[in-house]
Parts: sequence; C-alpha cells; structure tokens
Amino acid sequence: MAVLTAPHPKPPVPTPSRGGRARSPRRTPPLVLAFVLIPLLAESVWVFWPALQGFYLALTKWDGVSAPQFIGLDNFREMAHDDVFRSAAVHTVLWLVLFGGLSALLGLAAALLLQQERRGVGFYRAALFLPVVFSLVATALVWQAIYQPDGVLDQLLASVGLDSLRHAWLADQDTALYAVIVPALWRQIGYVMVLYLAGLKGIDPALYEAAKVDGAGAWQRFRHVTLPQLRSVNAVVLSVIVIDSLRSFDVVWSLTRGGPYHSSELLSTYMYSTAFQSLRLGYGSALAVVIFVLAFGVIASYLVRAFREAD
Amino acid sequence: MANLQPSRRRLLAGLGAAGTAALLSGCVTSTSSGKSSSKGDVTLQSNLSAPQAKTAMEDIVAAYGKKGSRHASLNTVAAETFRTQLPTYLTSANPPDVYTWYPGSVANAYARKNLLLDLDEVWNSSPDLKRYSKAQNRLCTSSAGKKVFVPATYYWWGMFYRKSHFAKWGVRELPKSWDDFLDLCDKLKSKGVAPIGLGAGGNTPWVASAWFDYLDIRINGAQYHRELLAGKHRFDDPEVRKVFDRWQEVLPYFDPNGVAIPFQDATTALLNGHTGMMLIGTFFADAAPKSALDDIDFFRFPIVDSKVPLAEEAPVDGYFASARTGRREQVLDLMSYLATAEAQETYIKGSSGTVLPCNPDAKDAGTALVKKGRAHVDSAAEITQFFNRDSSDALQPTADTALTKFLAKPKSIGSILTDWQRDAEKIWNA
Repeated sequence: MAVLTAPHPKPPVPTPSRGGRARSPRRTPPLVLAFVLIPLLAESVWVFWPALQGFYLALTKWDGVSAPQFIGLDNFREMAHDDVFRSAAVHTVLWLVLFGGLSALLGLAAALLLQQERRGVGFYRAALFLPVVFSLVATALVWQAIYQPDGVLDQLLASVGLDSLRHAWLADQDTALYAVIVPALWRQIGYVMVLYLAGLKGIDPALYEAAKVDGAGAWQRFRHVTLPQLRSVNAVVLSVIVIDSLRSFDVVWSLTRGGPYHSSELLSTYMYSTAFQSLRLGYGSALAVVIFVLAFGVIASYLVRAFREAD
Repeated sequence: MANLQPSRRRLLAGLGAAGTAALLSGCVTSTSSGKSSSKGDVTLQSNLSAPQAKTAMEDIVAAYGKKGSRHASLNTVAAETFRTQLPTYLTSANPPDVYTWYPGSVANAYARKNLLLDLDEVWNSSPDLKRYSKAQNRLCTSSAGKKVFVPATYYWWGMFYRKSHFAKWGVRELPKSWDDFLDLCDKLKSKGVAPIGLGAGGNTPWVASAWFDYLDIRINGAQYHRELLAGKHRFDDPEVRKVFDRWQEVLPYFDPNGVAIPFQDATTALLNGHTGMMLIGTFFADAAPKSALDDIDFFRFPIVDSKVPLAEEAPVDGYFASARTGRREQVLDLMSYLATAEAQETYIKGSSGTVLPCNPDAKDAGTALVKKGRAHVDSAAEITQFFNRDSSDALQPTADTALTKFLAKPKSIGSILTDWQRDAEKIWNA
C-alpha cells in the first residue's frame, strides 16, 4: 500500500509558465498514482489475467471438464483446413466492409444533414439515436417479427405488388447474412452520427468562410475543409467500427445463430458455438486469439499511420 | 479541498483493503479442498425456468422443508445459462449440491469424469426407487455400474394434431404404416393444408432431430441409433442414407415455412389449422391455450419396417448431484424424497400436467391425453431419449447444421453426410 503514504504537506503550486515550456511536476502525487494503480490492479485480475489464460487455452484441447491438454499449435493447424472458419472469416470481412463502411458513410451523411440548428432538428437526431438505446437482443426480436414469413416485410412487399420477392429472409442462406446486417446498421448509424456531429461542431467556421471567399463550392468545402478536419474523429469512428464489427454477436446470435448452415456465421458466433455449444474450449480460445489479433492489427496499423501523418 | 483529503485517503484505503480481501478470498477458494460447506441447506440448482415449472419446483422444495428437519434451497437459472454453465458448476471447488438434468449418456459423460455423486445408497434404501422399472434402472446407471441419477418425470413425442381439424378434413382413420401416412399427407394437401409442420427455424433447429431420430429408430432400430450417436457407426453409412431416402419421400408435404419459424410459431400454425400435424413432444402444450388442450390428440410415428422392434422417444427428466458436495447425507435424503410419489405429484399439479411421473405409484394429471401417452410409452419395446440426450449437447449443433441443410437442399445429401461425419468426429475426439 505504498500509494497510501502521507501526501506532501503542501502541494507545490505550479508556477505559471511565461511563454516557455511548463515545468513538469517534481513527482507524481500519490493520489494520482492510486487512481492509476488500483484500477490497473483490478483490471489485471479481471481482464488481463483471463485474457492471458485465453492465449494459453488456445494451445490446448479442453472440454471444460477435464484438465486442458497441451497440443501446441494444432488448433491453428486445424483452422487452416476448417471450411466453417474460412467462411466465417469471409463473412466477418464482408461484415466489416458492409456494416462498417455503410455505418460510417450513412452516419456521416446523417451528421451533415442534421448539423445545422434548424427547428425540429433535435427530434430527428433523437429519432436516429434512439435505436442505440435499445438492447440489441430486443432489437433482434423486433426484426425477427419483421423478417418472419408473412411478417411485416413480406406483407409490405405483397401490398406493393412485389409478391415474387416474398421470402423467408433469415432462413435462406443467400439472404440471411444481409438480413442480419440491416438491424445492426439501423442501430449503429445513430451512434456514428453522434461522433461525427461532435467532430463537425469542432470545426472553426472561419475555415468555411475563408473557403467561401476563395470561391469554393459546397463539394469543395466538404472535400478540402470538412474531411481533413474530421481526421481525428475518423480514427475514433474506425476504431469503434472495427471493434463493433469483430464483436458483433448478439444480433446475429439472436436472429440466426450463425445459420442456416453457417451462412451468417461470423468469427464471433463461431467462437461462441464452438466453445460453449460444442464444448471445444481450446479451439474456441484459438478463434478468440485470431479475432483479437485481427482487431488489434487493424486498429494498431491505422493508428500508427494516423499518428505518423499527424506528425 | 485540502480538508477533504483525509476522507478521500480513507476511501482509497478502504478500496485497497477490499480489493486485497477479494484477492485473498479468491486465492483461498481456488486452493480449497474442493468440498462445499457441510452446513446450511442443500442447494438445488434448477433449469426449469418456465413460470409453471418454476412454481412447481418451489412447491416441491417447500413440501420437503415441511416434512422434516432438513431443508433445501432452490436456485432457478435460465435454461441456456444452466446448460453452458453446468460443466463449470460441477468442476468448481464449491458446487451447488443437486441439479435438474438428464440421465443416460449425458449423465454418464459426467460420471466417467468422477463428477457425479454415487447414489447406490439411495437406490438400495428407498422403497420408492426399488419399484422403478428396469428401463429406468438401466438409464440411471453409469457405465461403471453405479447409480448416478434419480428420475422424476418423462414425456413423449408423437404426431400431434387437432381432432376437430382432422374431422373437418374428413380424416377417419389414423395412419399406422408409412404408406398410410403418405396417403394422409396426400389427403391433407388436397384440402389446401400444409400436411406436416416443423418449426426448425429461429432458435429451435433441434426440432428437426426428432424426424431423424424417429426415422432411424423405425428403419435401423433403437440399438443402431444409440450406437450411431455414440460414434460406433458413421453418419455416411448406407444405413443412415436410408433414413434420408425415406425422409425425401415426405419432404414435399412439409410446411415450406418449417425451417423459417421456431417451434412455438409452428405450434400456433398447427392449432390454427395452417398445418395438419406435427412431430413434437408434449412440452408444446405448455404454450397452448387451455381451450385447445382438449382438442389435441396424437398418433404413433408410422411404422416403416414392421420387423424392427417398436421404439419411442420418451425423454426422462430428473436429478443428479455433485461428487464434490460437502452435504452428502442431506443430498441423499433430498434425492430419496424427490423419488417419492408425493414429490412427483406435487410437480405435476404445479406444472402444465402433460408429463408423466417416473414413480409407478404416482398419479398423473389423469386427462385422456396423458392416459393415452402412458399407454403409448408402455407399449414400446425400447425407449430412446432424444438426439442430444442419447449423444451429447456438443453433438447437437452438428445435427442442426446437417438436417437444416438437408431440408433446404435434399439433393446434396451425399456431401451433407460426409460433412456431418467430419464435424461429429471433431466432437467425439474432443
């Protein structure tokens, strides 16, 4: 409990800097240290240690009951020949591109549309943000009712004379994946919109005025002022999207459980069903490691690039 | 601000101490002797979370408490959570004592890992259990010859229909053979009804396994079926292929929405007359309106090969206990109570009443449907449980994938069976 030693009797009053660099404090106050160390301790017990154990479990064969049996890299070798893993990986990439790409694009579009303070704009913002508030499982139940045979969507299609398009949307391997992306998107757009709205608010209006004076049109202002100014928000949005894509689980699990016959399987649902349904916890952990490496790889490489550009 | 510091410090000190205590207690638990405390009530972990079933379990526990000096405490957990957590419960250092679960191969898998309490003493001393049938005895015995399970209730699967609808469609005779069954399907189809409802969509793809189970026990027999699920035969064997050849004959009569809706919706379609009949267990009646219950009837899954001994699916539910319990005496006492006619009648009264008691002296709900169900099971030469109970929960997803794929693409049955065998091997070798 070194962090709890008595603090300095009189904390030094930082002298205001006069144009030069601010003087760094002589030593970190114990209270600050405590605020860092205690959460770190909690985090290492409840997050880091289990995560490390997950890495170890990826190298074992384990049914959750007997002791794990060390098998080296066999799980990863099996993955190389596993068709379901391959299709789950392809679906995850597809999900990342469609769900991630569309939610970023549509979120940005919504933010641009709703950034100006007009009468009633608050209502539209709230309406778009509302799905974020609902639990994803509840969202999935609502969408299940929409998609089911003779559900809302099919009735809508029939009422406009598109009977031929009526479909068991979630039970057909050709449409299941796309059908589950829609509710996920419906929820994500509001969230991304809020991030971009915050970014847009931070842009100095003088830049737009200057651009206008220079004769820039609306598109040019967007292309040369808005987009570059949003760079820092983009990094946040990308991180959020990549993480949300790779952990997208609840909506898929509630709607299709990765089926029919793995056609909407993502790496996350495959990991869950392998670990907790088929009770192959070693292989499930290996899948979790792959997901971690993917998420970490994508985000780290983007952030490194973004920071390099910023320098 | 300065005078707030001491209290803030105290708060931090408190937090630190609490964290340390939590850590230490964690260490102690993980290195403890693996025995739960021998004091306090015996804990009964139940997966029966449906409102009626939950109340019925509470009634049993209350009645047990009134009976003597010993008490039990009930802990109801959502079924899916219970299933995924069960291995963790059983291997934990301080496990719950008694669990609701399944006998047969499911219990045996845990018994082989020495996780289940030996219940020989209860079976030898309880006057109730001594009267249980031979089949029940066999089902509750592990491969090492120990009793590990106390059965409580069972239910049956059959082709369910509404009497009034069949009368309206002019169905006078119920089918016995496969050919009769195909004729009935033709007749229902001519009336504009989807003859066979399924309900393998949504979160209940496992319902399709009932068709696989029944066709296999009708064509290859119960013995072969159990061996197949235990990995002693291959899913791409010609015997299994025969099952799907027959299934293909009735596929055109299946409700096209069968793989798109869960069984609860399929049940509604059956009750509303959109589908004619459905292969399902009596549990579906839990959600049926009371007014429809008297109109529900069933017939035996048709005989395909008369030379094959008659088998029926009649899954048994009951209890097993953790080998690591520290309250062995209390557990054995509770187990012998759970085997009594009184406990099982309490359960049947409190729940929807469509299950049958395992105790031969216990009264069932007494309805015509239940009486017919009892005779239906009693007349079978062999009893099977269900796909996941005769194999394992781990094998069920392989069947779900294979069977829903077959329903959508019956022509690719060759590759479906090859894939099924490959997936099943991964589970058997795990």
